[in-house]
This record gives sequence, C-alpha cells and structure tokens, in this order.
Amino acid sequence: MFEKNRTLIVIGTVIGIGFVILPFFMEGYWIRVITSIFMYGIITAALNIIAGYAGYAAFGNVVFFGMGAYTTALLMLRLGLVWWTGVLVGGIVGATYAVLLGSAILRLKGPYFAIATLGINRATEQIVINWGSFTGGGKGITLPLPQMEVKDFYGLIYYVMLGLLALTVLANLLVIKSRLGYALRAIRDNEDAAETSGIFAPRSKIMAWCLSAFFTSLAGGIFAYWFSFIEPATVFDISISVKAFVMMMLGGVGTVIGPVFGAFLIELISETIWGKFLTLHMLILGMIMVGVVILIPRGMVEIFKKKLTLAALWNRIKNQSV
Amino acid sequence: MNLQVILNGIFLGAIYVNVALGFSLAWGVMSVINVAHGTMIVIGAFVTFILFRTFAMDPFLSIPVSMAVLSIIGYFVQKYLVNLVVKMGLFLSLVLTFGLDLLLVNIVLLIFTGDYRSVTPSYSGTFFPLGKITLPYVRVAILLICILLTLSLQIFLTRTRTGNAIRATAQNREAAEIVGVNVAKIYAITLGISAALAGACGSLISMIQSFTPFEGGFFIMKAFIICVLGGLGNVWGVILGGLLLGVVETGGATVLGTGFQEGIGAIIMIIVLIFMPKGLVGLKSK
Repeated sequence: MFEKNRTLIVIGTVIGIGFVILPFFMEGYWIRVITSIFMYGIITAALNIIAGYAGYAAFGNVVFFGMGAYTTALLMLRLGLVWWTGVLVGGIVGATYAVLLGSAILRLKGPYFAIATLGINRATEQIVINWGSFTGGGKGITLPLPQMEVKDFYGLIYYVMLGLLALTVLANLLVIKSRLGYALRAIRDNEDAAETSGIFAPRSKIMAWCLSAFFTSLAGGIFAYWFSFIEPATVFDISISVKAFVMMMLGGVGTVIGPVFGAFLIELISETIWGKFLTLHMLILGMIMVGVVILIPRGMVEIFKKKLTLAALWNRIKNQSV
Repeated sequence: MNLQVILNGIFLGAIYVNVALGFSLAWGVMSVINVAHGTMIVIGAFVTFILFRTFAMDPFLSIPVSMAVLSIIGYFVQKYLVNLVVKMGLFLSLVLTFGLDLLLVNIVLLIFTGDYRSVTPSYSGTFFPLGKITLPYVRVAILLICILLTLSLQIFLTRTRTGNAIRATAQNREAAEIVGVNVAKIYAITLGISAALAGACGSLISMIQSFTPFEGGFFIMKAFIICVLGGLGNVWGVILGGLLLGVVETGGATVLGTGFQEGIGAIIMIIVLIFMPKGLVGLKSK
C-alpha cells in the first residue's frame, strides 16, 4: 500500500534521520525549540484525523492534552509510577474519554460540535481546579524531578517527541489509506450520503476522535514530564487547539504531511522571531491567524497558485458576494 | 432556596441575556460564531472605564458611546474580514474570530495593562430594602436597561426595513439576494448591531464587577451556553436561556459553593446538547 508514496517515504526517512542526528550538533536552546515544534506537530497531526479527514471542528481537543498531562502527573506523584507508564496510561485515559464523550456529542453537527468540545474543555478544567485535594487545584502541580543530567533529560524528551511525531504521521498515513479514511472523508463531504452508502458513521467518527485523543494525550503526558510543572490554565489553554487549527490550515487540511509542515513553520517562526517580543507575542499570533485566513484560506499551496497582492485582496473586498 | 437567591439569579440572568443577545444575532443570521464577542464586551467596559476615569462621566450615560464605538468596530470587522470567508465554512470563520479575539485582547492589554479595573460611581453599593430582600439600585437599573435593549432589538428586527432585511437574510440568503437585499451590507450591519449590544453589555458589567482585558473567554462561554439552552433565531430563546442560566448558577453556587458556579453552566450545556440536541425550545440547526 505504500508503493505510490515511495518518494515521500524516502524523503520522510531522510528528514527523520536528519532530526535523529541533529541534537549532536545543537545547543540546549535549539533542542528545546525543536522539541516544542515536534509537540505542536503531534497535536496538529492528531487534530487532522478528526478535523481534517472527518471535518469535525474539535476546537476543544486540547482537553485531551490536559487529561494526558494530569494523568501522567498524578500517576507519577500519587502512585510513584515511572514517567513512561504514566504517559501511556494518560494516552489510554484520553482515548477512553474521547470514546465516552464521542458517543454522545459526535452526533452534533457543525458549530454545535465545536461549542460542545469547548464546553467539555471548560468543564474538565473546572473539575480539575475544584478538586484541589487530588489534582493540586488552580495553582498547579509539580512532578517528581527526573534523576538524570539535564542535558540527557532534554535529549530524551527530544527523541521521545520525535518518535511520537513519527508515529502520529504514520497513523495519519494508515488512516488515510484504510477503509476508515475513506469513510471519514465521505462523512466530511456528505454525512447523509455516506450513511446511505453503508458507512456506519458513528463508529467511524468515534474511532477517528479516539485516535486523535490518544496522540494528543500522549503529547500532553510528555509535556508534563518535560516541564515538570503543570497548571490547568496552561494545559487546558484553548489557544493550543486554535494554534493547531491555524497550523493545519496553513499546511493543508486533510493531507498527511501538510499539518506537520504548518506546525513546523508557525512554531519555528514563533519561537525564533516573535517569541522574543514577550508583550507582542500573542498580538502577532492573532495577526498571523487573521492573515492566514484572509490571504491563504486554502493553505500554503495557494501561495503558488494565485496572486497575493494588495490589489487582488482589495478586489475581493470590493466584489465580495457572501 | 429563598426569594433573594432567585432575585439575584434574575439580576445575573439579565446580564447574561445581554451577553448573548448580540452573539445569538450574529450566529442566527450569518452562521458566524463570533468568538471575539466576549472581548468586544470587555472593550465596552473599558470605554466606560476611561470615560469615568477622565471625564467622571456617569457609567449609564457612557452606554451610547460604547455602543457607537463597538458598532463601528463590528461593522468594519465584518466588511473587511469576516465577509471574505463567511461562505467558506466553519473552520475559517472560527479561526478568524479566534485570531481577532487574540488581536483585540492584546491591543486592550497594551493600552490598559492587565490590572483589575472597576467603575464605581457614588451610588454603587447602595440598595433599596424591601422587607427581607434587598434591591441594589445598580442591579435594578441594569435589569431595566437590559429589558429596554431587548425590546428595542425585537422592535428593530420586526418593524423596520433593515430589520426585515436582516431576518430575510437569516431565513434564506439566496432568496433575500434575489429580492434585492445587499447581503454583504446586511451582514456588516448585523455584526455592527451585534457588537453595539456587546458594547452596552460591557458598560453595564463594568459597574458590577472588576475586569481585566482577559475576561472575554468567560463571557463567550456564557453566550455559548445560553444559545444552546435557548436556541437560535429569536430574542425569546435568548431571554429564556439567559434567565435560566442566571438562576441555575446563582442557586447552584448557593448549594454547592461558589467554586462550582463556572462549571455548572458548561455541564448543563453538555447535558442539554446530549439529551436534547434540539435545545430546550427546539434548536434551529443550520
């Protein structure tokens, strides 16, 4: 099934090997930046499964990131488990949460689904905040510190994130080539027609969201171990999901590698250029989001396809027909 | 649960009706979920704050000013940004308004910093005792203004030419276009009105709570919940949803503790969505 993508696989492997040997030539700062890029790549690629293929606007997907982070933190702290067991259990907890919620709210269409996911994120965050005796509440929770050299620790996180990113991309590839992928895309284009032609939509959608949640939760768990301090305001921050949406749209919705590419581009620019302006950081992110939507709503491929001039934009505004 | 709690719930509910009124209008007419609506409310509060601080202007008198400022912002945001993508689906308009929200929050933050602000005219904190219950003057006035705004919107939508055009566009965009409605212009006017209502709401809220530039997310969540509870497309659904949320939150906070006030609404919304996907009064899904 991979024959058609042989060139892609080769390029992917080369880039992968590149990233594997990269840490030997880099300082700590760049390892941190690239690890953070990998993390957004995972979140975006995972989001792509439910939002890109199935067309369901899961704007509250960050809830799984928070679930994974908190499960890992609590398992390590309260039960003394090893970090990777915590991360794995976190992934399973997140996936289970998605199956339970999905069977209820994946029936909702369009904006109602988007709002329901936002509500679930808010409700979960509130539960974590109010259940302070167990979760540490609004002021956050500190994880046990890793028993190794700082340099080795950051290297470890780098490789774990890279491996998970590779797995998430592989999952995307497997989904898109499988019956599930065809079902999801049929659902995206016309759900009623898909059901008429024999696709059991609820199961497909739940499977897609479950996969998406699994990888997002794993990323959250690794993030918790990496930062060794988490608080509800950080790990349930809705702007993580929204950023992932922008990255996905920039790279190309519903493609395998596009969302990861979008994540690389935005997170690299974010960390290296406008991350330096502490007070303007979010302002510039807002401008990028508006700019991407207005100028290249169909993603980066559009840059090569049409003229991006002020005159062209002015024409669109003048001749707008909504 | 005593009378005072219910009354407080209604006072809170009146504010919530006002929070959701403009948001529901934009959603119902254009199918645009304006995530920046919450921050537009915050901007309204800051307009009142700055007028109160510099000119000692009475906060109630500053309502028209914040409505005017916000309606201009809303009109141009729709005309030059949202109109370009409104036809292209949910992802784009949601990400666009999220981006606008970030922009607006951070512009307000640059101007006013993140400090807590409040507007405290001389009569704030005074109340009218009525037997066992107390009626704070400010809250009563806010309730009256909310009723006034809601009625004005209803009359505008049903009795004026522009209002009829807005309702026609909401019902059927193509048909409205065929009979000569300039849909792009109507959309810009709709978001202008929606934002003006947010401005009025912000002015009112500035009198009853302290606020920072980051308060928008709190209001937008309330607007989501109210629209789900009450359904879209008419003013009465918003009134029902807003009052219900106000009473349930106040009652819930009394019974369970104030820490749960925020979560209650979100959980109710999810339950309603799961068990009554059509909303309490029959949700018009678009």
